Amino acid sequence: MEMLQYALRKFITGIPLIIGVTLISFLLMVYFGPDKTYELVGKNATEEQIQEIRHQLGYDKPFVARYLEYLKELATFDFGYSDSTGERVNSILKRTVPISLALITPGFVLGNLLGIALALVAAYYRGHWLDKLIMGGSVVGMSVSFLIVIIAFQILLSSNDGLGWFPVRGWNVYSFWDYLRYITVPTLATVFVALGYNTRFYRAVIVEEMGRDHVRTAKAFGTPPGELLFKHILKNAMIPIITRIMFSIPLVVISGSLLVESYFGIPGVGKVTFDAITTGDQPILKAVVGITAVLFVIVLILNDIFYKLVDPRVSLK
Amino acid sequence: MTQPLLSVKDLVIEFSTQRGIVRAIDGVTFDIMPGETLGLVGESGCGKSVTSLAILGLIPSPPGRIVSGSIKLEGRELVGLSESDYRHIRGKEISMIFQEPMTALNPVFTIATQMTDVLMRHQGMTRKQARNRAIEMLALVGIPSPQKRIDEYPHQMSGGMRQRVMIGMALSCNPKLLLADEPTTALDVTTQAQVLEQMVKLQDELGTSVVLVTHDLGVVAQSCSRAVVMYAGRIAEESAIQPLFQAPRHPYSEGLLKSIPRIREEKLDELPTIPGTVPDLLHLPAGCRFVDRCYKADAACHQQEPPLEWQNNQAVACYHPNPAAGSNA
Amino acid sequence: MNTLAEETSLPKESESLWGKAWYKFRRDRTGMIALGVVIFFMFIALGVWAGLWGSGWSNVGGDMWAGPSPEHWLGTNIIGQDIYSRAIYSTKTAFEVGMVVAILSTILGGILGALSGYFTNSWVDELILWLMGVLDSIPFYLFVAAIAYALQGYPYSMHIAMIATFWTTTARLVRGEVIKLKNFEFVEAARAIGLPQGKIIFRHIMPNTFHILLVQATIVFVGAIKSEVILSFLGLGVVDGVSWGLMIAESTQEVQAGHYSNFLTASTFLFVLVMAFNMFSDSLQDALDPKKVSA
Repeated sequence: MEMLQYALRKFITGIPLIIGVTLISFLLMVYFGPDKTYELVGKNATEEQIQEIRHQLGYDKPFVARYLEYLKELATFDFGYSDSTGERVNSILKRTVPISLALITPGFVLGNLLGIALALVAAYYRGHWLDKLIMGGSVVGMSVSFLIVIIAFQILLSSNDGLGWFPVRGWNVYSFWDYLRYITVPTLATVFVALGYNTRFYRAVIVEEMGRDHVRTAKAFGTPPGELLFKHILKNAMIPIITRIMFSIPLVVISGSLLVESYFGIPGVGKVTFDAITTGDQPILKAVVGITAVLFVIVLILNDIFYKLVDPRVSLK
Repeated sequence: MTQPLLSVKDLVIEFSTQRGIVRAIDGVTFDIMPGETLGLVGESGCGKSVTSLAILGLIPSPPGRIVSGSIKLEGRELVGLSESDYRHIRGKEISMIFQEPMTALNPVFTIATQMTDVLMRHQGMTRKQARNRAIEMLALVGIPSPQKRIDEYPHQMSGGMRQRVMIGMALSCNPKLLLADEPTTALDVTTQAQVLEQMVKLQDELGTSVVLVTHDLGVVAQSCSRAVVMYAGRIAEESAIQPLFQAPRHPYSEGLLKSIPRIREEKLDELPTIPGTVPDLLHLPAGCRFVDRCYKADAACHQQEPPLEWQNNQAVACYHPNPAAGSNA
Repeated sequence: MNTLAEETSLPKESESLWGKAWYKFRRDRTGMIALGVVIFFMFIALGVWAGLWGSGWSNVGGDMWAGPSPEHWLGTNIIGQDIYSRAIYSTKTAFEVGMVVAILSTILGGILGALSGYFTNSWVDELILWLMGVLDSIPFYLFVAAIAYALQGYPYSMHIAMIATFWTTTARLVRGEVIKLKNFEFVEAARAIGLPQGKIIFRHIMPNTFHILLVQATIVFVGAIKSEVILSFLGLGVVDGVSWGLMIAESTQEVQAGHYSNFLTASTFLFVLVMAFNMFSDSLQDALDPKKVSA
């Protein structure tokens, strides 16, 4: 009950963020965005026909009214119909979001878990050759562009010039086996790119925690190294680690899947967003931006609640 | 003569830094007898904390390294001991209390977790036995309603309380030696006195030997039977408390003592201080380390480092020591 | 006297952060090599800018997909353009994007971060924090697209979008540092003698955050170059001219036909520059971090 109250209070403080995100995106994408009137009217349209279309699109209303309408759409979770296909935005999302989640989740989870594991090894052997090897590898990983990794992995693993083990493009998933075949290359590419950044970040966090006074105390009381690392250090390091993971979720869902999906031709929300960008499909863009903002506020709340669970010093006040 | 509990002999410790290798401890030798409290005194950077960390094998390496010398606990060599063997000594035979009570305890675990972990590890107790023992220890160090407070987190306690918890935790496995690194420095004055008193009382009851690392001669006078005065990584003087305070033989000890403000003496124009600052360990003067700050320094002092010489249970490393107490020289 | 020789070779305690950092950096071999590589790339970019080389990037001077030859060192692309010239010319594009974005976003982040840190708990701070939160919450590619819409195909919309999103990290770091610095004695002293606030912030506090700004600028530079590649591939990036991103974008058809030269060339140029810059940035951080001890 206390938790729920807290979450509600927190959500209210998140409203300025939602307003900010939606206002800026609305201003840039819709208000100053492309005028779709002439795409929709036929040739040699009369003045009335043009006015009619402008009215349908809502262009004749004042800015504030149009923006408020957008907020209403967001609050009721009803974004109308896609400009280009005429399909309901909600049904598009319902179809594509699960695909994106299925595509992105394994790589995201693996990238973080492997990152933490490598960071623990590097931090534990700090200054030794193993640490240097892992950190050197991280810099290399950080220096390769995601795009290059995707293309290279596709050539090596999927194309006929390479091993040809996996499908080159698309998403014909009818069984778990299909699923594994289609996600392998995108997942490997995602993990490869995320690993460098994750390992570096997590190692820095763990090394910082290792230098704390209470770690020295634990050592002075004979705590064995495994317990020291996994109990004393990792529990304290969990706070920044989880924060990073949580805050990357909203962006990974949209931005992370955008490149992968458009390159591999996978019909997820990233591909839909990309197509909406190129065709100027405003209802879809409005939905994606709005949902991301709400997702951010939810993450903010979850993160605070998580803090409370891990760190007894934080109270829900 | 009884065997010393701990004997440190010719200890040399170096740290590699950006600017070169620093010899933080340069040939330090002293013994600790069973049941005694030894003060390890000096300004910051003189090597007193490094010495106590070295006894527990906690010199961070790299950059630190024990170059030579020996540390023996009841005749058993600790230098070069494997990490897994050392773990059975830490917290069990030798315990340590640190300077900063605010950060020395893990913020995300309760006092109960932190104390029972140590007891279960070293005494083979069950969680329940360990908890009872921990409550007992908390009561012993003067924590009110310990059954309740044991389930609190460190941040729910004051600095003085936390330091008491540390002392309780350190003594819970009946260690033979307690290393107390500036245990009261971070506390306010009234709490300092209480915590110190508690520590001395417990030490009497349990018969634990204590090495009290401090820069505060007042603390030494209050609780120690013997003191080692360190300066820039070496021992300047070693002596029982009484003669040290009556007649300090090394000019450095003399200076330290004079710089303690005293109420009963008539008003001074100025509190005497030791001129100059602690030398940079990378650029030590030739000869005696204290030579640049010493009012007695002469040509001989610039030539060679004076050796530590014993005379009636009082040792001093100086070519021109003050006369010993009671001697007519 | 006998320490004089040592003192000339070792930096003194009194030397500035920058003196020490330079001394430390010079002894970091990886950092020096990385800096050399970066300077080499910069030299290439300057040469392109001065018209010394790479000017034939848009000429259609050869057969389609020709192999390496004396005229076309790395072969030609799908319409017969010289891949080597295009890669060289793209170096200039990369530096243009990197420099513009790094410099402007660092200035913006430095100023707004300093204001926010100096006026903590006031509406100025609240406003800047809100703005940072908002900009961090808009999906990056959508933001770039939105700015491109709003600016109606203006060629620098990508740069503007990057500057508008990349300054927030710098601002957060500077804000934290300024909050720490403003309680220092030299700031109190400046306030006590009645200096105007603007002068205190920008003349007395800001210079003490330059080490953060410098490191951040290198990180943003790398980020900008890497983003350019992906944005250009998505059709949101470089509009006129050529860039490694555009080369990779056009190479995606070629690799399917088994022609890898365009892809490999652009990837290698990009990788070597980004890698060198990352390593340079790391060494810079090591040298400038006063807390860091050599391990």
